[in-house]
Amino acid sequence: MIKRRPLIWGKKTYKDITDDICELIETAPGPKYYMALLGAKSVFLFYLAVMGTIAYTGMGLMGVNSPVGWGTDIITFVFWIGIGHAGTLISAVLFLFRQKWRTSIARTAEAMTVFAVMTAGIFPLLHTGRPWLAYWLLPYPNQRGPLWVNFRSPLVWDVFAVSTYATVSLVFWYVGLVPDLATVRDRSKGVWRKRIYGALSLGWTGTGRNWNNYEMVYMLLAGLSTPLVLSVHSIVSFDFAVSQLPGWHTTIFPPYFVAGAIFSGFGMVVTLMCLIRALVPKFKHYVTLDHMEVMNKIIMATGMLVGYAYGSEFFIAWYSGAPYEQYAFINRAVGPYAWAYWIMITCNTLIPQIFWWPKARRSIPIMFTVSIFVNIGMWFERYVITVTSLHRDFLPSSWGMFKMTFFDFGVLFGSFGMFFTIFLLYLKGLPAISIAEVKPVLSVGREEGDKIDVHQ
Amino acid sequence: MDSENNYWVSLDQWRKDPEFEALVKDEFVSSPFAPDDSESGWARREFLKLMGASLALTSFGCVRRPSEKIVPYVKRPEGFIPGVSNIYASALHQGTEVFGVLVKTREGRPIKVEGNPDYPQNLGAMSARAHASILNLYDPERLTGPKKNLLNEKKSNRDTVSVSWDQLDKEVKKQIAKGSVGVLTSHKASPSTKNLISRFVNTMSAKSYSWSPVNYELEKKANELSFGTNSLPQLKFDKAKYVLSIGCDFLGTYLSPTEFTKAFSKTRSPEGNFGKLVVFEGLMSLTGTNADERYQVRASQFNELVMALVLEVANLKGSAVVTPALKESLKQYKGTAAKLGLNAGELTRIAKELIAHGSQSLVVAGGLSSQTKDAVKVYTAVNLLNSMLGSVGTTVDFSRTYQSATATTSDLVKLKNEINSGAVKTLIIDSVNIAYSAPEMVEVLKKLEMIIYTGDRNDETGRISDVLAAGQHSLESWSDVEGLSGVYSIVQPTIEPLYDTRSFQQSLLAWSDSLKGSAPSAWYEYIKSFWKSNVLTGETFEKEWANALKQGVVIANAPNKASRPILNDAINSLVYKGQHPLPSQFELSLYQKVSMGSGENANNAWLQELPDPVSRICWDNYLTISMKDAEQLKVREGQYVKVKQVSEGAPVEVKVPVHIQPGQIKGVVGLALGYGQKHAGDIAKEVGVSASGFFDGGLASGLKVTIEKTNQIMKLSSPQGHHSMESRQIVVESTLKDFKQDASSGIHKHKIFSLWDTHKYNGHKWGMSVDLSSCTGCAACVIACQSENNVPTVGKKYVDQGRIMHWIRIDRYYVGKPEDPGVVFQPVMCMHCDNAPCETVCPVAATVHGDEGTNDMIYNRCVGTRYCANNCPYKVRRFNWFHYRENIKAPVEMAFNPEVTVRSRGVMEKCSFCVHRIKEKKLEAVREDRKFKATDVQTACQQSCPTNAITFGDMNDETSEVSKAFKNGRTYSLLEELNNQPAVRYKTKIRNTDHLKGAKAHHGGGHGKDHGKKSAHGADDHGQAKGGHGKDSHHGNDHSKDSHSTESHTKGGH
Repeated sequence: MIKRRPLIWGKKTYKDITDDICELIETAPGPKYYMALLGAKSVFLFYLAVMGTIAYTGMGLMGVNSPVGWGTDIITFVFWIGIGHAGTLISAVLFLFRQKWRTSIARTAEAMTVFAVMTAGIFPLLHTGRPWLAYWLLPYPNQRGPLWVNFRSPLVWDVFAVSTYATVSLVFWYVGLVPDLATVRDRSKGVWRKRIYGALSLGWTGTGRNWNNYEMVYMLLAGLSTPLVLSVHSIVSFDFAVSQLPGWHTTIFPPYFVAGAIFSGFGMVVTLMCLIRALVPKFKHYVTLDHMEVMNKIIMATGMLVGYAYGSEFFIAWYSGAPYEQYAFINRAVGPYAWAYWIMITCNTLIPQIFWWPKARRSIPIMFTVSIFVNIGMWFERYVITVTSLHRDFLPSSWGMFKMTFFDFGVLFGSFGMFFTIFLLYLKGLPAISIAEVKPVLSVGREEGDKIDVHQ
Repeated sequence: MDSENNYWVSLDQWRKDPEFEALVKDEFVSSPFAPDDSESGWARREFLKLMGASLALTSFGCVRRPSEKIVPYVKRPEGFIPGVSNIYASALHQGTEVFGVLVKTREGRPIKVEGNPDYPQNLGAMSARAHASILNLYDPERLTGPKKNLLNEKKSNRDTVSVSWDQLDKEVKKQIAKGSVGVLTSHKASPSTKNLISRFVNTMSAKSYSWSPVNYELEKKANELSFGTNSLPQLKFDKAKYVLSIGCDFLGTYLSPTEFTKAFSKTRSPEGNFGKLVVFEGLMSLTGTNADERYQVRASQFNELVMALVLEVANLKGSAVVTPALKESLKQYKGTAAKLGLNAGELTRIAKELIAHGSQSLVVAGGLSSQTKDAVKVYTAVNLLNSMLGSVGTTVDFSRTYQSATATTSDLVKLKNEINSGAVKTLIIDSVNIAYSAPEMVEVLKKLEMIIYTGDRNDETGRISDVLAAGQHSLESWSDVEGLSGVYSIVQPTIEPLYDTRSFQQSLLAWSDSLKGSAPSAWYEYIKSFWKSNVLTGETFEKEWANALKQGVVIANAPNKASRPILNDAINSLVYKGQHPLPSQFELSLYQKVSMGSGENANNAWLQELPDPVSRICWDNYLTISMKDAEQLKVREGQYVKVKQVSEGAPVEVKVPVHIQPGQIKGVVGLALGYGQKHAGDIAKEVGVSASGFFDGGLASGLKVTIEKTNQIMKLSSPQGHHSMESRQIVVESTLKDFKQDASSGIHKHKIFSLWDTHKYNGHKWGMSVDLSSCTGCAACVIACQSENNVPTVGKKYVDQGRIMHWIRIDRYYVGKPEDPGVVFQPVMCMHCDNAPCETVCPVAATVHGDEGTNDMIYNRCVGTRYCANNCPYKVRRFNWFHYRENIKAPVEMAFNPEVTVRSRGVMEKCSFCVHRIKEKKLEAVREDRKFKATDVQTACQQSCPTNAITFGDMNDETSEVSKAFKNGRTYSLLEELNNQPAVRYKTKIRNTDHLKGAKAHHGGGHGKDHGKKSAHGADDHGQAKGGHGKDSHHGNDHSKDSHSTESHTKGGH
């Protein structure tokens, strides 16, 4: 029988695990952390200023126009929503499939999901002409008639899909945090620390009954979250697929979007994990190269799925016999936005192919670079879908171009500031690896753990 | 309870049960019926008082906003209902064009100018410029009162100070008393004003001049030579079955284009009367784009062309009018066709066709682009042609002549000489911006002792004038017009003057003491007395005057019915030895844009933002250049070139971006007038370059220039992104011959089925039909819509970014070879689809389907997701990217139509089918207690269309025009295969020719074959021949390559 490699390296005892993970919360972070936080926060403040200016002055500041009615806001919204997919996939789907390797990365991946959805959620508001009235998209009994939303509109479905996803992900993430919060509470020395973590840990005492309930809730939530992994991005894809526009009006969009989302989500997890490993060297024992390799395999697989979708779109365009459809796709590949298309193809289907080589899968610099490219490629995928389809549709008289302005770049860049600010605060404030879940996968009493060299 | 109570509610009460009585007493503690509340019987009144007070308090307590006075009239003026528009008949004079108009006013302010259907020239039609005149009234740059300019030694403006009219009058009178006075006016259509000026001239021994850069002196001269009358005959396009235009843009800018368009459209019905239009021209004019056959000839070769045609006609007809000497001279024109690069035999064929149509043919020449040094010869030869064909007297009708074209170039020469000689020392200038239009005159004018300017703004001429006697807009003052001789109308004011201004005529009356006594001193009285003695000479003048005011038109009998034979002198003048060599340099033709004319309305944002129908470029003028020349010079679209006039004197030079114009002949470049005004106002400032300097002794065409390219590039702003139809079925074109065989020829029908039930329309169902055969692309509808629906303008920068707001646009596509393309126009507005793609995707139901088939936009519900715009295949939805209302300077907001909401920032808007007009007519029917008739409703675009191309009505009514139109074989839906079921449908463009210039616009049978390939690509994009898809960097809205290397105008506002 081939023995599995241990999931946690470095001869850890249970105490070591608790100490390692809690150290980040209980000690003052180093200058690296502060530098990163300062940078992220500055970008976040810049983001707020840019958003405020747009909301105050009007959408005209951005590059959107007629015919390209949706631009950076929608592109970046879909981008962040896509990022959010990996978290739930790792924590819920892999949990149900009993993939034990998920334990080290699940917490952070889930946090990433919650923060990415938060970041994404701002964009649909920001992109409307009158953001202060965006609550009209919510169906609730009101004094305007009552006037209801148009349930036929995919944007309404989107409101449901994204808000449900955000809620369930948040609850799922929080429930998973409870035992660890209790651990932090129990180790706390300060009064306020104890009070805050005490309140957050919802009176967890670690009894068998606690654990029993916890396991049950966690499993139920995992079961609830699993369909959401598929539904959210399917519905986001309906924003495009339900329309009449050549290049949007296709049935392949739901699976294609979901695959793309998982692809980009794992890309982001790898990016973040590389950063965490650099920022907190101790975590290298928990988020091991084995973990990274598995994720890289998923990236390669989903990348090829996405590549298949790209090819399939062209086939269907040809097979449909619809001239507008055919033109839309030829225009993607050779039109004025061909550069965006080929960036997308290169980043999403060609570059991940490097993971056929095991060495590349286990090399941090390579995987970090590839994961960045995957994220760039996936942003451009949404750019290609949104912009190149809109800019030349049925009537050539209305063809136009889309050019990003300072404000477009501002919100795109700024959204990363928001994400990383929240993420860095999370690293400092909450246990970034699930203590409770990692301990059970520790190879206590097994010898194999000793033989692995962490620095390989 | 009162014991005498006869009413009882229960047996307990009737029995006077004490328990019950106690209960009742306790129940209503402070009951008004309780006897102890008050001694007397006043309790009920008390109760009512309290109720009334509390009611009043409650309602006051609920006032949410401070109350504003919506209707400020304490005493309502007679015949005036707030909220209901009053319409006054008036007239409008622009350049040489005269319109009978109906001015719509609301609460005492004019909000729209519409055509008067009774006025025989425009017959209810309007032009874009005529519609936009309403905005000039509210131009914030207008002078608000009389001013004095303080000039320095160099006679340039130091400062402008306000003065009172008394002060001004005193000063002017003192100066006028010195004598040597001149009066300079532009084209004058007003008979009273002409009378006033001539009396002023006589009594003050002054001199009068009439000049405008765009004038028809040469045309008149040729007529004098040919027919002995220095006048311009009425051209009856409605009677012409065959029109041959020699560089005459009669549909766009020549003399009276709206009248001509209206008349011409009567010969464009494939089902009925369908004529033929053949155009020879060098530039691509609006008339050329509408031609059935168009040939490219330089203006400098028009003489040879016409003489060759005379030769052909004479050969075929053996016409007696040609004298032997001319016959001899004509021989040298043999083989001209080949020399002009035309197919041999083409001219013969055209001559044959002309002869076949005889007196029903019409040859026209004239206008700026043909005013070369041979112009008189050309026009004379054209007169000879018309005489030979027998059309003088039928289509060329001297019984009525144009009275509105009074300006001449020789007056300018005369003025110059007389100022130089000292014969004129004081000049009164009436609203002709001479310092801009004739820059060479500035130095001459500075020799004057005093310049009195009656313009409405401190423009170039104002700034060198000593006195600014602020003039009025024609909607503020009395006047009259005589467009064609004997066709009169009164211009009546429809609003109190906005500012402390005075009309030119009133000023003239005020300044000439000597006129006093012999004429009324009030201008209004003066007009009346003039009309009494000249126009309405009957007994009952006051009644007739009132009637004339009401009707807006008085038609006197045509003065002269005789057809005029061509004079021998004219024929002899055509005898010509030797030939013109082909010019080796570029020749420049000046032209007018449909939107800008000669530039009087340059500070009008609507007109500046109106894309030129041919080039589709707005907010600029540019040097139009042929594709071949562009290739040779290696210039790109928007690249600046230096145009330098080849002349002995100080050569004029301007730096101007080029526009590569498909269909323009090699060797000719064109430049539009009216741009580059520095002082006309904020809107006009820094828009384009001035072409005024290029006029060579009044000649506007065949001007020799050299072109030198620079490295600077500017982005010309166009709302249209692409100029080829890419073989899609968008505008369907067919020939008359094919149409006669199959009415639906050219249309590829799709099999359409739907799984869903369609909407049911039980009442009315509005629909619109647009006839592409009669539409000339004149863009009157665009401005009519803008005026009707409060459509904002966005400025050059934002037009370039794809933010233009027009609710109706006129797409222009090129078909065929880019060097010699066919041109088609297509007005596109909201299609009001039955299966509207916008309606389903709006998350907040802000765009919904009306029960009469309209697609309604609910502005205050719109959140601005723009999904509807993305999903609209016609891209007719317009988004308010900014708060455009905020950019409007007072008093422009007075031009707003109160019936239509002014949209706020962040909402979507689009064509509403003028739903407010439908509602208005419905309410009218209710008020008048009659059944509402769908035929009462006209949309703004339909109303203004000079060609009646737009039909609007009830599709549920079998007998309505629109229902009939929809059953017509020529009717098709745009993008029919999407099954949106648009309520706007088009009729195919029919041309009376054997072969269309483009490949047939269709995708019939060829699904999936040619699409997206290089099919019609040559005609792309301002004619750059390279046009593969990958590199169309010259698309109108392309931002990727051309940077804004010069500057971006950010003119929003009006």
